[in-house]
Amino acid sequence: MSQPRPRVLRPETLTAIGLIVIAAALLVPTFELRPISALLPAAMLIGLIALSVLLLLADQRRAAKGEKAAPVAQSPKRVIGAFGLVVAYAVACDLVGFYPSTALIIPTVAWLFGFRHPLGLLVATVTVVGAIWLIFDLGMNQEFPAGRFWS
Amino acid sequence: MFNIFKTTALTGALVLAAGAALAEYPEKPIEVIVGYSAGGGTDVMARTAALFIEKYLGEGASIVVKNMPGASGQIGVTEVAGSAPDGYTLGTFNLPGMMARTIDREAGYDRESFTYLANVVNDPNVIVTGKGSGLTTIDALIAAALEAPGAITVGMSSLGGDDHFALIKLQTLTGAEFTIVPFKGSAPARTALMGGHVAMGILNISEVASFTEELNVLGVATEERSRFAPDLPTFKEQGIELVNGSMRGFVAPAGLPGDVVAKLDAAFEQLSGDQDFLKAMADTANPVEIVRGDAFKALTSDLYDLAAKVWAETPWN
Amino acid sequence: MYTDLLHALPNVFALANFAAVIIGVIAGIVVGAMPGLSATMAISVLVPFTFGLEPLVALGLMAGIYNGAMYGGAIPAVLLRIPGTPAAVATTFDGYPMAQKGQGGFALQVAVVSSSLGGIASAFALMLLAPPLSKVTLLFGPSEVFWVAVFGLCSIIFLLGGSVIKGLISACFGVFVSVVGSDPIYGNDRFTFSQLELLDGISIVILLVGLYALPPVIDLLEKPLKTGVDDNKLGTESLWKALPRMKGFWKTWLRGSLIGIWIGILPGAGGSMAAFMSYNEARRSSKTPDTWGEGEPEGVAAAEVANNADTASALIPALTLGIPGTAVAAVMLGGLLVHGLQPGPMLFRDNSDIVFGFMWQFLFGAILLVLLGGSLATNSFAKLLNLPRPLLGAIIIVLMVIGVYSIHGRMFDVYLMLGFGAVGWVMDKLKFPLPPVVLGLILGAFAEENLRLALRIGRGDWAVLFQNTTSLVLVALTVGVIVVPLVKSRLAKARQAEGQA
Repeated sequence: MSQPRPRVLRPETLTAIGLIVIAAALLVPTFELRPISALLPAAMLIGLIALSVLLLLADQRRAAKGEKAAPVAQSPKRVIGAFGLVVAYAVACDLVGFYPSTALIIPTVAWLFGFRHPLGLLVATVTVVGAIWLIFDLGMNQEFPAGRFWS
Repeated sequence: MFNIFKTTALTGALVLAAGAALAEYPEKPIEVIVGYSAGGGTDVMARTAALFIEKYLGEGASIVVKNMPGASGQIGVTEVAGSAPDGYTLGTFNLPGMMARTIDREAGYDRESFTYLANVVNDPNVIVTGKGSGLTTIDALIAAALEAPGAITVGMSSLGGDDHFALIKLQTLTGAEFTIVPFKGSAPARTALMGGHVAMGILNISEVASFTEELNVLGVATEERSRFAPDLPTFKEQGIELVNGSMRGFVAPAGLPGDVVAKLDAAFEQLSGDQDFLKAMADTANPVEIVRGDAFKALTSDLYDLAAKVWAETPWN
Repeated sequence: MYTDLLHALPNVFALANFAAVIIGVIAGIVVGAMPGLSATMAISVLVPFTFGLEPLVALGLMAGIYNGAMYGGAIPAVLLRIPGTPAAVATTFDGYPMAQKGQGGFALQVAVVSSSLGGIASAFALMLLAPPLSKVTLLFGPSEVFWVAVFGLCSIIFLLGGSVIKGLISACFGVFVSVVGSDPIYGNDRFTFSQLELLDGISIVILLVGLYALPPVIDLLEKPLKTGVDDNKLGTESLWKALPRMKGFWKTWLRGSLIGIWIGILPGAGGSMAAFMSYNEARRSSKTPDTWGEGEPEGVAAAEVANNADTASALIPALTLGIPGTAVAAVMLGGLLVHGLQPGPMLFRDNSDIVFGFMWQFLFGAILLVLLGGSLATNSFAKLLNLPRPLLGAIIIVLMVIGVYSIHGRMFDVYLMLGFGAVGWVMDKLKFPLPPVVLGLILGAFAEENLRLALRIGRGDWAVLFQNTTSLVLVALTVGVIVVPLVKSRLAKARQAEGQA
C-alpha cells in the first residue's frame, strides 16, 4: 500500500459515511412511531449522524495535513478468510447439524491457519466434540441444531 | 414384562372405541413446545403436568418439554401451529394473550390452527390497592375513580393481556376511568404498588396470594370463591359482575387424528381428579381449572371476540 | 429469623448439598472462563435439568455456578481481553494490561480474592439484611429507577477512551441497539423488521460475545504464529505470597462491596453496572489515577469485588418481591419456582430451611471460590493459552456458537452475534471503545422504560421526575459524582495549559 489512496477511502471516513447512511435509513421508520416511542431511537440516530459528521470532518482534516491512516488489518486475506470460515461454520450448523460441522471446523481452521499436526488435530477435535456431547447432550439434555438439511 | 403389564392396565382403563391404532400411540417421545423460558409460570405448569400426563397415557409414554422462548410465547405457538398433526408435537397455549396477539400484530396462526386439548390453569384477576392508599373496598375505589376520572393509576403487567381486559371490563361495568401503567411483568407492578408508586393494581390471584398482608385485596374476578385462596371475596359477592383471568393449557396442531385426541383427552380427564397433581400445581402458584376439548375451543373463541371488541373500541398500540 | 438461619445450617452440610455447591463453583468457573459461555446461559440450561433434583442440591448448584462464573469471567478477561461474562468487561481494563506486563498470575489472584470477598459480603447482606434492604427497593419507583439509569449512563463519560467523538458514537450505538424490540409501553414493534426473534430485544450476551469475543479470535488467526500467547509469562506465585501485596486494597474492596450490594438490590441494572461504577469510584479516589487502564491491580480488584458483590444481593428483591436484580437472578428465580419456592414474604416462613440453606450455600460458594478458583485458574486455564493459536481460535469459535445458541435455542441469535462480531472488529480496529456500547445497551432501554412509566404515572407531566426526595437525592448524586469531577478536571487542564503558555 505504498501509493496514496483517495481520501474518501480512509477507514474512518468510510465508517463515518456508512454510519450516516445507515442511521439515516433507520430514521425513516421512526416517523411511523408515536412521538414518545420515537423519542429515544430518533435522538440516538440523529446523535449518530451528527457525531459521524464530526468524525468525518476530523478525519479529512487529518488527511489534509497528510497524516496517513493506520492500516486496519495486517493481512486482510487472513481476516476475511477467518471471518468467512466462522460464517460458514454457523451456516453449516444450521443446515447439516452442529456435531458434524464442529468436527469439521476445528481441524479446518487450525490447519488453514498454521497448526498442521495431524495427531494433535485429531486429539483436539475428539476431545472438544466429545466433551461438548458429554456435558450438553448426555448430561443436560441440551439439543443443538440437528440440521435443516436432514429434516 | 413391565410393558405388558402396563398395556393391560391401560386397555382396561381406556375407552374401547379406538382399537389397534390407539394402543400404539404414543410410540415415541411427545414433544411439548413451551413458548417461554424454563422456570417461567407456563413452563412450570407444562413440566408439572407432563409428569402426570405421561402417567395417564401409560405405555411408558414420555414427554419432552422444549422451550422456545420469545415474543411473549408467539414463537413457540407459531411453531406448534405449523407442526405435523401426529400427536407428537403439542404446545402450551395462553389466553387471552395468544388470541390478542392475532389481533394486535401479524401472527402466523389463528383460532383455527389448533386442536384444542385442555385448558389446565385459570388464574383469576384480582384488584389490589396499596396499604397506604386508604382504598380498602372496591366501592371506595370506584367512588374515588368516579370523583376524579383518571386520577387513579393502575399498575399491571402489560397492555393487551388479561389484566388489561379485566380493567376494560371494570371500566365498562362501572363507568369509572383509570390511568393504565403497564409494567414489564406483574412482579414489578406489584412492587410499585407496595412502594406506593401506583395506587391500584390488577394482578392474578397466584401473584398476590403470598402478599395478602402487604396489599389490600379488594376482590377476585371469579364466579365462585377460588379454591386457591378461599378467604378472598369475589366481585360478584360485592355486586360487580367482573369475571376474568389468565389461562394456560395445551393445544396440538389442527387436524389431530381422532384416536390420538381421544387418548390425550382421557389423560386430561384423569388429570383433573388427581390430588397429587392439584397439590403440585398449587405449590407452583397454578390454580387448576380443567376445561377440555370443545369447551376449551369455545372459551378461546369467546376470548378472541372479547379481545377483538376491545381492540375495535380502544386499540392499545 | 436468625434462629431459622442457624436451623438451616446442618442441612447445608449434607453430603449431596455440599457437593452440589463445590461442583457448582467449579462448573461456574469453567463456564465463566470459556469465552462465549455465560452464567445466564449455564443456569438457563441447568433449570430444566434441576426439575428432578432435591431443592438444596439444585439451588446449591445454581449458587455455586453464579459465584464461580462471576469470577471465571475474569480469567479470559485478563488473559485474552475477552470478558467471559458481561460483568467482567471492567476487569479487562487493567487485567489485560497486567497480563501483557507478565503479571497475569497476580491479576488472577487479585481477581479471585476480590471476587470471593465481594461474594461473602453479598451473602451476608442477603442473610442478615434481606428484609430491610427489600424496603429500600420499594422506595424505587419508575422515576427513581430512571434516575439510577441516568446516573449509570452519565458514567459512560468516564469510559469514552481517547476520542470523545468515537466514545459517544459507541454509546449511541449501544442505546440504539437497546430500543430494538417491542415498545416498553405499547408493545408495538420498533426496528424488528418483522422478525419475531427481535421482539424481546437483543440479549446482552449476544452483543457481548459478538463484540468482545469475535475480534480477538480473528486477531488470533490473523497473526501467523504457531505458538500460544506471545509471551507466556504468567508470573505465578502462591496465593499466600501474593496476599500481602493486596493489603492496600481494603478501601476498594469495602467500597466495591457496598456498590455491588447496592446495585444488586435495584432491579434491572446488574453486575456490569456495579463493576463499572466501582471501577470509576476506585479510580477517582486513587492517588495515581493516571496508572489506571495500564495495568493497575487495584482496578482488577475494584471490578471483581463489585461484580461478585451483586450476586447474592440481586436475590434480595428476587426472593422478597419477585423482581430479580440481574439477568442471572431472573433465571434463578425460575429455578426456585420449579421447586415450588414462590417469592414473597411467605417464602421465609414456609420454606425457611430451604431459603436460608440457599443463602448459606451462597456464602460457602463465595468462600470455596478462593480455594478452588486460585489453583484452577492459574494451573489449568492459563495453560490453555499454551495451545497453538489456530486451535485456540477454532475452539473459541465453537464455544461462541454454543453459548449464544443455548440461550434461546435458536440459530437466529448466532447470526446476530456474527453481525455484531463484524461491527466489533471494525470498532476494535478503528479504536472505538466497546464499554460504552455495553453500558448503553444495558441502561438505554431500561432508562426509557422507567421514564415512560413515570410519565404515565404523572399523566404526562414531566415534573413527576422531581417530585420526591429519593429522586432529588439521585439527581444531586449524578451531578456531584459525575458533573463536578468533570468540570474540575477541565478546569485543572485549562489551568495547566495556562501555566505552560
